[in-house]
Amino acid sequence: MKPDLEQAERQENSALDAVCRSVAQLARSTPHPPLRIRMQDGQTTVEVEWPDRVRNGQRPADEPSPGDAHLDGPPLAEADELNYVRAPMVGTFYHAGSPDDQPYVAVGDVVLVGQAVGVVEAMKMMNTITAEAAGRVVEILTPNAHPVEYDQRLIALEPVDEDTVDRP
Amino acid sequence: MFSTVLVANRGEIALRVARACRELGVRTVAVYSTADRDSAVVRFADESVHIGPPPSKSSYLSVPAIIEAAAQTGAQAIHPGYGFLSEDPDFAEICEAHGIVFIGPPAHVMQQLGDKAAARTLMAQAGLPVLPGSTGALVSAAEAADLAQQVGYPVILKAVAGGGGRGMAVVRSPDDLRLAYNETRAHARAVFGDDRLYLERFVDDARHIEVQVLCDTQGSTVHLGERDCSVQRRHQKLIEEAPAPRLPEGLREAMWAAAVRGAAAVGYVGAATFEFVVTPDHEFYLMEINCRLQVEHPVTELVTGIDIVREQITIAAGLPLSFRQDEIVTRGVAVECRVNAEDPDRDFAPAPGLLTDFTPPGGPFVRVDTHAYAGWLVGPDYDSLLAKAAVWAPDRPQALARMDRALGEFRVDGPGVRTTLGFLRRTLAHPHFQTARHTTGLVSRMSVEAAESAEAAEAAEAAESAAAAEGQVTAG
Repeated sequence: MKPDLEQAERQENSALDAVCRSVAQLARSTPHPPLRIRMQDGQTTVEVEWPDRVRNGQRPADEPSPGDAHLDGPPLAEADELNYVRAPMVGTFYHAGSPDDQPYVAVGDVVLVGQAVGVVEAMKMMNTITAEAAGRVVEILTPNAHPVEYDQRLIALEPVDEDTVDRP
Repeated sequence: MFSTVLVANRGEIALRVARACRELGVRTVAVYSTADRDSAVVRFADESVHIGPPPSKSSYLSVPAIIEAAAQTGAQAIHPGYGFLSEDPDFAEICEAHGIVFIGPPAHVMQQLGDKAAARTLMAQAGLPVLPGSTGALVSAAEAADLAQQVGYPVILKAVAGGGGRGMAVVRSPDDLRLAYNETRAHARAVFGDDRLYLERFVDDARHIEVQVLCDTQGSTVHLGERDCSVQRRHQKLIEEAPAPRLPEGLREAMWAAAVRGAAAVGYVGAATFEFVVTPDHEFYLMEINCRLQVEHPVTELVTGIDIVREQITIAAGLPLSFRQDEIVTRGVAVECRVNAEDPDRDFAPAPGLLTDFTPPGGPFVRVDTHAYAGWLVGPDYDSLLAKAAVWAPDRPQALARMDRALGEFRVDGPGVRTTLGFLRRTLAHPHFQTARHTTGLVSRMSVEAAESAEAAEAAEAAESAAAAEGQVTAG
């Protein structure tokens, strides 16, 4: 191998090392690690795939927590799976029991098992939707008065330890 | 014409209806249960709505879910297909109340004809021949016994709310009547939520021949000829053909006229089928009227060139029929085989599973209506109908040869998956079917013959080994 080529490769390797270090650092600095990082030598491509819901401050419940082992970072508390309140039927989702009422829940509220969190109206029947798991409301995924399908995710709940929650 | 139609069904018929809508330029909405999220009609439709979990009662039979789905997607009409809500007058009425057109007859007509005991009386008044039997629902086993004595055994007990070949029992002797009455009642209550029964004379070695009619909202009624559906197993049709072969002069025409008269008498609108039993002496009697699209409608479409589903939709939109009776011409012979995911060697037990291979036949004059594809999971939640293979030919021998060729081409495979393909080919090849001398007893006759030939083979084998043993003894 010619000396100039050797040197070029060494430089490239160190450049790649630097990129790897930055990526690992970046990944560790965010509460939501990337789903996938792809790096290519040569033209030095870096592709980072973030979880779908990072914008909303969550991660999809179905996705396994990726990257932790490779990135050698500490396990992240936020990587806990979220629970979802889902529509039990086709209908219209309402945040409140009636137009004049306050919404059942708001982001940040802690809800208990069996607590009413919304209403799905189907053929003029109001069906109260209750939480099947306790949790802190992270996001209300379906806007008020919007149509929903069966099993559609309505509210994302971050698990909380029920013992620490003050019961009313 | 409607701009959007919702198809409240699944499987091959949902796809069949969606295709008719597409050809009419109508936007289609599919509804699906969790088990059908990857179904062919979901892929085909312009829009789809997830209406519930796999059990039918929470999805395809859930009136609120379907009405809500129609409201969300702006559907102006609902096509119910066959089965599920297709013969539910309450559903038709609820659609109407929500300003949605139900593609089928008016609710009150469906109500009248859906009560099979009342329909018998109504049609007898309209001059249609009915078998001797009840004039209304039976009130007790004792009444059933008296009536059976009057009309003569064998008799058949049927659920007033029955349909699809379910909820009926043939009774051959007075000793069996009480038990059959109780069992059929329990069955009817479980399946139809209505335990009322009626009774009529049962005809052995009969043929099942039905007439397709179409009625528009302007009062025109036409028939599209008849279908022979005599190849049945436990009242479930397996092979259908049009026209009915080997009918004596005049009988066909008399049945057509009876069907048209019956439809006109109740102010029918849409597509209906008048099912008749034809006795060995060539007498015909009305069995029942089906207020919906039939599974076997393709054979009529193939011989008439009329798209029955398209006509259902245009009729529901208030358009007049685009043809008169004298413009309807039937040509050639069409045959349809229902390919089910069932194991004929295990008493036709459902044999569902993942399809690793699914290659339907093609070639000239072959039509396959199916929702299946390689990679599709045939689940345990719904009926076992996998595909309907239909062929057309200028005459019956050619049609039967073509059907045998088509079934031979059909490849279906998957772990645990069995089909009725081989059984259908054996049935087609049976001398009675080949010569059109078959009746509704053909399939049981075939199982008797199969058992006999197995016995004969066993006996021959035993005789052979005995002879061989004897030979050995002699030789030794």
